[in-house]
Amino acid sequence: MEKIKLMSHLVAGYPTDELSFTAAKALVDGGADILEIQLPFSDPSADGPAIQSACTQVLSRGYKTSDGLAFIKKLHENFPQVKIYLMSYASLVYTPGVDDFCRRASQAGVTGMIIPDLPFDCDEGLTSSCKKYGMDNIPVASPSMAEDRLTKLAECGFNYIYASLRTGITGTETKIDQGTLDFLAKVGKGGSKVYGGFGISNGEQSKALASSVEGVIAGSVFVRLIGANCADKDALYKAVRAKAEELTHLR
Amino acid sequence: VNEAMRDWAANPDTTHYVLGSALGPAPFPDMVREFQSVIGKEVKKQAAERKLDVEALIACCGGGSNSIGFFAPFIDQASPRLIAVEAGGIGPGVGENAARMTGNASRDGIMHGYKSRFLLDEDGQALQTRSISAGLDYCGIGPQLASLGKSGRIEFTSALDQEALEAVKFFAKNEGVLFAMESAHAGAEAIRLAPTLPKDKAIIINMSGRGDKDVFITSPVFRHDAWLEFLHAEIERLESDKDIHDAKIMN
Repeated sequence: MEKIKLMSHLVAGYPTDELSFTAAKALVDGGADILEIQLPFSDPSADGPAIQSACTQVLSRGYKTSDGLAFIKKLHENFPQVKIYLMSYASLVYTPGVDDFCRRASQAGVTGMIIPDLPFDCDEGLTSSCKKYGMDNIPVASPSMAEDRLTKLAECGFNYIYASLRTGITGTETKIDQGTLDFLAKVGKGGSKVYGGFGISNGEQSKALASSVEGVIAGSVFVRLIGANCADKDALYKAVRAKAEELTHLR
Repeated sequence: VNEAMRDWAANPDTTHYVLGSALGPAPFPDMVREFQSVIGKEVKKQAAERKLDVEALIACCGGGSNSIGFFAPFIDQASPRLIAVEAGGIGPGVGENAARMTGNASRDGIMHGYKSRFLLDEDGQALQTRSISAGLDYCGIGPQLASLGKSGRIEFTSALDQEALEAVKFFAKNEGVLFAMESAHAGAEAIRLAPTLPKDKAIIINMSGRGDKDVFITSPVFRHDAWLEFLHAEIERLESDKDIHDAKIMN
């Protein structure tokens, strides 16, 4: 079977700068094509307990946006073949100025931005600033969106759309059924490539999704593995790499 | 706020967002203002019946549901003055208050699904807030209030924890009403304003909550020793299974 494209998520700086780099290396070695790096935010409304507590832990060290961007730059320099998308919340993008934030992100090596609380039809200039600096704004589509709004999003001409396969927060199990596949078809109707995720934690799920998406997204599963292995760098590397291999079907 | 939004996002089919403040995405702030405006309409009617010459309406302001509802029927007219009182906490320092309009860490921002004024650091992370009143202890403010504050129709000021406590005492002693700690912030501003006005002018304070709920905060301040003695006696009574009729009563 062909390798499945994987967008794997990491919270920048979690649990430490060193170990989050180890985790990134494990993901890349395990076959991840895209690293989705989350800049920790104080009030992450879309995230479940695993990612939320990881963010709180990182921020308690006084972690700044500049630390997150420095981490991304390091990843970009070490793994130039891997795409880096930045995921965070509107507050961190809007407060310093959308254009300024996008400029700094692109200088760090980011090629796509995922900001779930800046919706495509109310984005404070995110899409145009992304274009200006050669990045993609990757808007989020969710099954709870009204039909006409979803159609509008699908026809906006975005290169990529992030399809959250379930309403709600990150980190709870998602069942891939016909409803999921129908939703993905709607999101991709206008020609955008679609990444699909939310609650993806095993190879069976990624296999069920693979033919309907550009890439499979997995996040909380890695955050939990990282949290469980944060006392042992080698164990962390092995566990994260093995999970990435399972999801990409490299093994 | 965050937890309510999170739960709603996870269960949109079976729950509905009814956050108790004039916050969040449109149209919720407008809905909350409309529902809360019963108090403003009643005030307008009664003030006209009594032929009061109203100089100012004063309300406390956290997220702002009581104040925006109280002010609503008066917003489009030039008078009376509309005064909103924020939590001054223990002082002007960052993290010491919840002064989104009058504080020195206040910025335009986007959080919890709406755009308004927030207490944020330079990256856009929510700052800690502090107030003796739980209801005012929040880093954001309803967007319409922020906008009317900017235009000048609503005047913003703040009252310290200590001033609010003094207002509780003042109104209990002189008017026989027990203000909630939140509403006592409005009372504190009225105490400041009243001496500057002629006797035939009226000030209307929105007593948006009762202070019964605050006895665990106010009693240790107002009657420290008697309160301590009462609590000890209560513990002793509960541990010895004594009937409440035989309890030692605070005098």
